[in-house]
Amino acid sequence: MTLLVALPILLPLAAAGLSLAFGRFADVQRVLGMVVLGVLIVDSAVLLYVADTFGPVVLQVGNWPAPFGITLVADRLAVLLLLVSSVVTFAVLLYSIGQRITDYGRGASSTTFHPIYLVLCAGVSLAYLSGDLFNLFVAFEIMLSSSYVLINRRATATRIRAGMTYTIVSLTSSLLFITVIALVYAATGTVNLADLAQRVAELPDGLQTALGLIVLIVFGVKSAMVPLHFWLPDSYPNAPAPITAVFAGLLTKVGIYAMIRTQTLVFAHNESWRLMLAIALITMIVGALGALAQNDINRMLSFLLVSHIGYMLFGLGVYDTAGLTGVILYVIHHITVQATLFLVSGLITRHTGTVALSRMGGLAKASPLIAVLFALPALSLAGIPPFSGFVAKLALLQAGVEAGTWSAYAVTGGAVLTSLLTLYAMARIWTRVFWGRVRKPEADPDPEDELVVGTGTTARAMVISTGLLVTVSVAIAVAAGPLAEISGRAAADLMRHETYSTVVLGGDP
Amino acid sequence: MLVLVLAHLLVAVALPFVAVRAMRLAFALAALPPAAALAWTLVHIGPVLRGREVVETLAWAPRIDLEIALRLDPLALAMTLLVSGVGALVLLYSRYYFGRDSPDGKRSAPLLLAFAGVMLGLVLADDLITLYVFWELTTICSFLLVGQAGISRESRRSALQALLVTTLGGLVMLLGFIVLGESAGTYRVSELVANPPRGAGVGVAAVLILVGAFTKSAQLPFHNWLPAAMVAPTPISAYLHAASMVKAGVFLVARLTPVFVGVTHWWVLTAVFGVTTMIVGGWRALHEYDLKKLLAYGTVSQLGFLMVLLGTGTRTAAVAGDSMLLAHGLFKAALFLVVGIVDHQAGTRDIRELSGLWKRLPWVAATATVAVVSMAGLPPAVGFLGKEAAFEAFLHGGLGSTVIEAGLLLGSVFTVAYSARLLWGAFADKPRQTTTEAIAAGAGLVLPAAVPAVAGIVLGVAYPITDDLSSAYADTYGTGADPYHLALWHGLNLPLLFSAIALAGGVALHAARERVTNLRARLPKPFTAQRAYERIMALLERTAVGVTGRIQVGSLPTYLGIILITVLVVPGSVLLTRASLPDAVPVWHRLLQIPLAVVILIAIAGVVRARRRLTAVVLVGVIGYGIGGLFIVDGGPDLALAQFLVETLTMVAFVFVLRRLPARFVQSEPAPGLRVPKVVIAVAGGVFMAVAALLFSSARQAPPTASRYYIAHAEEGAGATNVVNAIIVDFRALDTVGEIAVLAVAATGVASLVLATRYQRRRRRGPGRSGSAAKPTDRTTADDHDSRREEARE
Repeated sequence: MTLLVALPILLPLAAAGLSLAFGRFADVQRVLGMVVLGVLIVDSAVLLYVADTFGPVVLQVGNWPAPFGITLVADRLAVLLLLVSSVVTFAVLLYSIGQRITDYGRGASSTTFHPIYLVLCAGVSLAYLSGDLFNLFVAFEIMLSSSYVLINRRATATRIRAGMTYTIVSLTSSLLFITVIALVYAATGTVNLADLAQRVAELPDGLQTALGLIVLIVFGVKSAMVPLHFWLPDSYPNAPAPITAVFAGLLTKVGIYAMIRTQTLVFAHNESWRLMLAIALITMIVGALGALAQNDINRMLSFLLVSHIGYMLFGLGVYDTAGLTGVILYVIHHITVQATLFLVSGLITRHTGTVALSRMGGLAKASPLIAVLFALPALSLAGIPPFSGFVAKLALLQAGVEAGTWSAYAVTGGAVLTSLLTLYAMARIWTRVFWGRVRKPEADPDPEDELVVGTGTTARAMVISTGLLVTVSVAIAVAAGPLAEISGRAAADLMRHETYSTVVLGGDP
Repeated sequence: MLVLVLAHLLVAVALPFVAVRAMRLAFALAALPPAAALAWTLVHIGPVLRGREVVETLAWAPRIDLEIALRLDPLALAMTLLVSGVGALVLLYSRYYFGRDSPDGKRSAPLLLAFAGVMLGLVLADDLITLYVFWELTTICSFLLVGQAGISRESRRSALQALLVTTLGGLVMLLGFIVLGESAGTYRVSELVANPPRGAGVGVAAVLILVGAFTKSAQLPFHNWLPAAMVAPTPISAYLHAASMVKAGVFLVARLTPVFVGVTHWWVLTAVFGVTTMIVGGWRALHEYDLKKLLAYGTVSQLGFLMVLLGTGTRTAAVAGDSMLLAHGLFKAALFLVVGIVDHQAGTRDIRELSGLWKRLPWVAATATVAVVSMAGLPPAVGFLGKEAAFEAFLHGGLGSTVIEAGLLLGSVFTVAYSARLLWGAFADKPRQTTTEAIAAGAGLVLPAAVPAVAGIVLGVAYPITDDLSSAYADTYGTGADPYHLALWHGLNLPLLFSAIALAGGVALHAARERVTNLRARLPKPFTAQRAYERIMALLERTAVGVTGRIQVGSLPTYLGIILITVLVVPGSVLLTRASLPDAVPVWHRLLQIPLAVVILIAIAGVVRARRRLTAVVLVGVIGYGIGGLFIVDGGPDLALAQFLVETLTMVAFVFVLRRLPARFVQSEPAPGLRVPKVVIAVAGGVFMAVAALLFSSARQAPPTASRYYIAHAEEGAGATNVVNAIIVDFRALDTVGEIAVLAVAATGVASLVLATRYQRRRRRGPGRSGSAAKPTDRTTADDHDSRREEARE
């Protein structure tokens, strides 16, 4: 049973090594990557069943007892996100394989892409499963170092600049992370999350709050919470579509996950949470306004990503079972839909040869399939029923109204306004890209640059993988019943964290 | 019922594939599901009126109160007849309206059918959330149908305006639903009607829900999207923007008035906005030259009328409202289809260009006349029944009722006037104008228009049926001692007098149309709702650009500064106010610490001021060695050794890289104004960290259990005499595995960058050198950073 918990980390890492060794055999790399990520989907699905039926699966790495070794914990929340993430990483890999083959032919190997992508997946898995603050840091480093390489791969000078912004801001937040771990260890003498839950509570009130806030800032940078979000719209749009898709879908949400985990388990809930609601509101509005000011489709989507981080902060700020249920549903929905939209944007720009909305037009006639593939996730992101975004938004709005405080009402109103602005942004993309007269794709301004490839061709694999994700997001809406149940149980687990501590520390709470 | 809704949607999904090959067949197929729904509803009229309502529920996500609940009750029955009946007719009409290869037709067939499906779901919904689901879907269908291919700027703008205005209302309404549902503990409409909730939340919910109803049903000041949406092909205007979708708002009011009977502002708001909309809409319709726009403003006006009737919450008003709902759907659909035929056959729908068309299109003119009888509220049409009941409803009551009655009378005068204007404008002989040429219209176009027009008369003549239908809904409000019944003849009474006044006034107004037009020209131009909408959109645009331009400055130092400031302000203020420094803090405990600290500080100052890369690198090395020195002083020689090794390695790596870089930093000097803030932020950041370290390490009560455990178990458990080794390779081996992965990734990344740069350089011969060569430096910093962390952990 515990092997299931180790698999999502060790398997991609081992495969990454193999993949590097087979760097010259493109097909071997491709098959290896797809198989490993496929196994991950199955593995996390099984884990989800086990964790939901029998409770969290705990792996004490190296068999060292809990607060001394490293603990991996597969509870409902972790495994749920693991499952969604594996589906997304699987689809994105398929997409980029398709893109590579269309653009460079089947024999073209990409020595570094596959291994590093697999390492990234391992990092994401470890971040979800880790029950140890320092190990969580290591997970972030694995994930981020891979992302530095991916975002700067085959980059042109302008893209390097954008990549630098990303890299340096991330390094800064890592530096802050390691510092706060030092502070935590200095004050409590432990880094095990379950153990910390008890030790931190023994600290003086002011120190607890300060620690909680520094950790919040660390994960706030990673998840692009306003005012720590600047780096995101400046860097994400400058990476090729599949890379942006996986970053936008997963990396920011891993930050949100870490925020949920630490803030519910380790740090007490006190009056500083009103701040959280204010931040949620500002994040939503600033992001949505940013989106409306853009002409570049990827920048617009990036600002919307920031904006919708606000929804997740909203649920966390409400801080009750209903609110957390909403956050979990929203994270599941958003991982899928945001990744899909960036993949679709990749398909769009292949047909237009430009990212500027003002220079596009008539794509609904030229390629109705892309129009459908865009419309469904776009409506979902805008929270239009009956799509996944609506289900998640509904849960959040209900939680906001139930909370019944003025601050919660204000953010609920803001969430509704953000929905409208998101719909406006989506309608703008629709009217400019899909409506109007058909235009010829623009000539590729820079053939060396993989950012915009206006070839007008799309591989079947790219369309299939995008379609796969669209189907998943529709399936999320259809299966909203069971998903809401599991999310509700996961949220209840978060609210009474004694269970987590007992399971990890072995009946010695 | 769910099967019927799904049948619409499934056929709609399949329809594009049919439409590509045979468009007329596609429209014929599309008419089948609405026809089936109509047949199904007709079969159920008897049982439903006898109280046997049809209920279907499907759990979706019970935990968040998400379920599909449908119920065929008397109100739903009336709406279903309208939605499915008119739907089937419009689809049959579209078969001949769109040309054989019209791309608009190909697009519209599936969308119209899908719309019919979601509209059916909307009127059958017995659950607020279910209703909302269908509500927003009608908005999306409307957006796509109004915009069509979005070729013209006007169609894009109109589609967008309709989308934004109705979605704004829809979202506010959703909030209202949630407030209502949470305070009542249920989202089921039938349960809410049975047990109307009380409390402050309900009053708020009422206002929020009304915003939704007002936007959807084009009430002032949200009405402008409706006339703008007339850019859509006429069958779409007839169906969405006259007969069905715009009814959703008044339908919602009719649905929820029983719930809000006790809430005063519910009926006050519906009455005020309804009467105003009725009058203003009617007045605007008097001045339009475009027949479609004329009808659109007529629709706005009639929706206001319906809003008043259905929001009042008395039985008589409800009878009037329900019958007017039917009447309006029938005559307005017929008239739109007629205007479509005129436009289609004569090539224009401008009143100033049309003359004597009754000779060319006699059957069309006859159809229009029959429909106008109902619109103007003349006997024996169903419109007459409804209007009589409406006048009756507000006859007895206080000042409020009298004001409403007067408003309705004025509105009715306008209604008669624009009815006359429509008939005259489309078909009459006009002086000094030749007869407009027009191709005779086929039965395929005329019949779908004639059926609803005639139905309006039939429902009027067979008034007991209409009465049964309306009373079944209105009885929700209690029957009372002497319930009102629809009839063509109630005797000589005030309502009949009012009808006569409306007719006379309307005809007079039409006769004096030139003077009325002149009067309007002399009136000051009011600030229109359209200008308000445009101003708001422009303001939104400016705010978006302004705010984003100010925040998203694109400068990395600024971003880093903001992160640091956030750390200083947020947790910093908490520490400042709520934590106290330990009493006795030893500043040093070994003398050697002082010179080391001084060296480090000087080196830091030097790094900041350094202009040559090499100097900076060496000074960073000095800082590292200084820290290593501190480790030695504190009794950690192994740690110090690691530190010295890493520093040395880093310096060597740097020197290799520096060979390829310019000797001096190339950035321009920072603006002098920024120097001081930068210094302040940096120094404050350092002080914060120092204080935090002091505070947190003094908070610890006992030595960490982990280190005792490690020392105790290193040898027998991990087989290592060096406890640090044991931690790295055994106790926390997973961290080490992770860090090795990080190093491997960094190495791979550097290698690929170097190779790629070389490859590019060979291809391009020269340019971009400094840009790409900057990369390895960064990689080294990353590696350097990683290795530092290794130590930090130890």
